[in-house]
Amino acid sequence: MSSDYEYSDEDGDYYDDELMDEDDQDSAPSEEEMDIDAFDGPIKEKRKAYQVDFITLSKQDVEKAMDENIEYITGLFGIEPEAASLLLRHFEWNKEKVTEKYIDNQSGVNAAAGVSAKTTPPRSATSGPSRSTRRTAPASSRSKKSLSVEGPFVCPICFDDTQTRTLALACSHKFCTECWMAYATNKIKSEGEFKITCMAEECNLVATDSFIQSILTTDPSTFDRYKELLVRYFVSCNRELKFCPYPECAQTVSCPAAASKFALTTIIPIVNCEEQKHKFCFACPIEDDHRPLICTVSKLWSQKCRDDSETANWIKSNTKECSKCQSTIEKDGGCNHMTCKKCKYEFCWVCMGPWSEHGTAWYSCNRYDEKDSIDARDAQSKSRASLERYLHYYNRWANHEQSAKLSMDLYAKTEKKMEEMQLTSALTWIEVQFMRKAVDEVFRCRMTLKWTYAMAYYLQKGNQKEIFEDNQRDLEKAVEDLSELLEQPIDAETIGLLRQKVTDKTVYVQKRNEKVLEDSAAGYLEGRWKWNVTVEGFD
Amino acid sequence: MDARLRRINKEIADCKSDKTSNVQIELIDNSPYHLKGSFQGPEDTPYAGGQFDVDIVVPEAYPFQPVKMKFITKVYHPNISSVSGAICLDILKDAWSPIFTLKSTLISLQSLLCSPEPNDPQDAEVAKHYITSKPSFTETARYWTHIYAGGPEVSANVKSSKVPQNNAGQDEIAMAGLEKAHVDQFESLGFPRNKVIEVLKKLNYRGANVAKINEDRVVEELLK
Repeated sequence: MSSDYEYSDEDGDYYDDELMDEDDQDSAPSEEEMDIDAFDGPIKEKRKAYQVDFITLSKQDVEKAMDENIEYITGLFGIEPEAASLLLRHFEWNKEKVTEKYIDNQSGVNAAAGVSAKTTPPRSATSGPSRSTRRTAPASSRSKKSLSVEGPFVCPICFDDTQTRTLALACSHKFCTECWMAYATNKIKSEGEFKITCMAEECNLVATDSFIQSILTTDPSTFDRYKELLVRYFVSCNRELKFCPYPECAQTVSCPAAASKFALTTIIPIVNCEEQKHKFCFACPIEDDHRPLICTVSKLWSQKCRDDSETANWIKSNTKECSKCQSTIEKDGGCNHMTCKKCKYEFCWVCMGPWSEHGTAWYSCNRYDEKDSIDARDAQSKSRASLERYLHYYNRWANHEQSAKLSMDLYAKTEKKMEEMQLTSALTWIEVQFMRKAVDEVFRCRMTLKWTYAMAYYLQKGNQKEIFEDNQRDLEKAVEDLSELLEQPIDAETIGLLRQKVTDKTVYVQKRNEKVLEDSAAGYLEGRWKWNVTVEGFD
Repeated sequence: MDARLRRINKEIADCKSDKTSNVQIELIDNSPYHLKGSFQGPEDTPYAGGQFDVDIVVPEAYPFQPVKMKFITKVYHPNISSVSGAICLDILKDAWSPIFTLKSTLISLQSLLCSPEPNDPQDAEVAKHYITSKPSFTETARYWTHIYAGGPEVSANVKSSKVPQNNAGQDEIAMAGLEKAHVDQFESLGFPRNKVIEVLKKLNYRGANVAKINEDRVVEELLK
């Protein structure tokens, strides 16, 4: 299948799916998509069906995007950029909403967003109407701070009367600079909050960026954190952007293809940030590369595993079901004469048959072949089957994860040996790299395999599932073969042969993995996959 | 002097000199950062006549972080835990502003007693009681005020339905806002008294709600 097809398909869905009030996010991305379409011919060829297009943005890039939004509002209403910025933050960076609401009720919106009325009059009216009848010494039209050195001032926060440096927002509520600094630092560092309101009671005015900068001049790291919080908020408001979830990584990934919910029924947006190559899913919080299973179903599976796997194992080994009402029963006493609490049915724990056939005066369960007992066990095994089925998939899922980790551990040991060999034999560095490649491939394939088990658990029985499982089996076989090769002892004489084998196998495994991923991606687009549970976006 | 200490000392002094607000603050031990605040229950509420003590811990970053307050006196109120005294009030959390003082915060607690917010409860059982049968709730709250906060004795008709009281002068049934007849009814089935009270409390077996709860449901719960 061609990637053209995928694209046109998405575009169509995109507009169908978006709600009216999200128009703004809609228009910007489509431009970007067009850009990519227009000049990125070679990339399109390179991109596999199971991959998505994305670009990495640095902090500066995101800040630039924020500025563009601010400029738009500034240009439209002729207000100060800082006021525009506060308005946009208040409306979750939704330009259209700001525009609409601002035209509707300017003063109400200003009050709600914590924008000072003094910052908003058009820039043409240079010295804004001096609303303050109080003694606001230097009435700066730029609104933010009034640094004054007036007589004895007692800061209402710290009750210090020796402070001479005070600051106030446009509302003229004065506090000493130290209190402002402590307040802002606490908000930013402890609460992770960028909306810093005036400390006065009932005053909702929000501090502008330049005001924050002025109080944090001596503490640039807190100001940096403040700016980062702003960037993060902007990113979280924009559905086409996602912050790299890895700690300490400040990159943002833009993936317009994954911005609509509907698109996620056909694609699995696994992306990575450019600098560090941190791999993550753009659309869901699962940190794994969960291809080939789409986000919604992966989430179902993860949820199930969290809730059920331990419980299921325990139930399996400690309980049985009442043969009559199928309630799950734990045996907590020594006697095999069981009475179901729910339906009062009396049965034998050993053979599951009715107790009445066991006689009363003695106990000896020799009735395994009795018809009733067999029926009872049949009913029991039926109800156990779903549990068994789940455990079948779960154990394989968990096993691949475990094996992937182990192969990494193994590699750490192998690597050392390789280094030694490099020193003792005539082999060059490049010649001992085949192990690295093989282990990486095994790891990647085990991740795929892992999620194929989750996928198989939810796939409806039928030809499609059989084909899927065939592909899965081929990949699994190849991966296990390669894994085995990797565990073989390495010595100088046989390394040439081993390298040949490993390299061949690696290429083969890679191909099988491609096959599984490509076929499942194609399956999504062609609507081949049917689930045995209700999945959002599928009929 | 450290800004926090200066501010706290001033707040304590202000409170001492202010005789009109009816809010007192005193030290619990020698630290000015662990205090006890107290105020009178507001008039025209079930808390009238009682004195309510509040444990106050002043955090390191005060006043930029809210003080930690909880009731020492037991209070029957939807936004106050009947067990721990924990308080659910926005200004003690994200709506805190450094301009608030111990005094203004205690006054806010006082007004919380006037205006419960059962839709954002701290104590779900009490809130259920409040929503389903307000008169019965008021009765119980008044009874708690009497027992724990030194409020006036409860009115005659309330008392008559709650006799006999046990030795300590505290009737567990009245404490839970339940009817003695109901507790007796299930106790006579052979369930221990405190278990019955616990279950009836959980099911909110009070006022008009009693008609909605099947007796079997109660027994089932008792058997758990």
